[in-house]
Amino acid sequence: MNPYPALVASVTRHRGVTACLVVMEDDGIVVEATAQIGVETAAFAALTASLYRKSARAAAAAGFGGVSFCELEAERGRVLAAGRNGLVMVAVAEPRVNLGLLRLELLRAAAAL
Amino acid sequence: MIRHTLTVGWADAPLKRFVDEARLQVAILMHTSGQVLAQVGFQRSLDVQTACALSAAINASAEYLGTMVDGTPFRGLHYAGKGRQIYLGQVPSPDTMLLVLAVFDMESSLGIVQLYVKELQANIAASAPSAVPEEPALAENFEADLNRNLAQLFGRG
Repeated sequence: MNPYPALVASVTRHRGVTACLVVMEDDGIVVEATAQIGVETAAFAALTASLYRKSARAAAAAGFGGVSFCELEAERGRVLAAGRNGLVMVAVAEPRVNLGLLRLELLRAAAAL
Repeated sequence: MIRHTLTVGWADAPLKRFVDEARLQVAILMHTSGQVLAQVGFQRSLDVQTACALSAAINASAEYLGTMVDGTPFRGLHYAGKGRQIYLGQVPSPDTMLLVLAVFDMESSLGIVQLYVKELQANIAASAPSAVPEEPALAENFEADLNRNLAQLFGRG
């Protein structure tokens, strides 16, 4: 049974979350996604996976070890990403989202990847 | 006037932009016959010719295989090697179908390449010259045109 729809649903049920995707870290290809109309998932997945990969490389180069979570704060929203086993769980959220709760949920979901 | 097909020019800028944005190591834009239109990253012309011939053959096989198993030709192919990967995709231009071969490593990814291939398609569609209609081979001024072209070819024009 495919476990990813349930993991994605556990994140998207939070108020203010506009998209949640499971993406392959190396390829940037979408494994599972739920998004509101207007979010271009393929492009978003590719760019976010690239960002996550490069963050991991930057952390490793700085001697900080592996990256398990990264967050991007933009003018009109946030992108949160947590990875494990070559997969990255990405959430896109509006500024009004309960950040602490979403972060906890995303890390919990990523632990099951 | 006898027309000569130029293999350089209009396709260079869109391909260079594609290479820069998608962080590719090598890219070639070619006709489906294997005739090169533009390339970035190859050092030797022999390598370009070989890559084009192989890409054209792969595309032809994929088109036929796709038609056989799926009813429509396959439009893109990805192969991941140990250190490098290739993506071979079709790029429609106003009057013909083109192929792009992209070679990349860990600096890029399949998703990124596919993303920028879409942009390349739009750029190619915008910058490709429109097809000039063929003139009849035996026009009234055929002999005069032929003499003029020969004179140009041998530096007497």
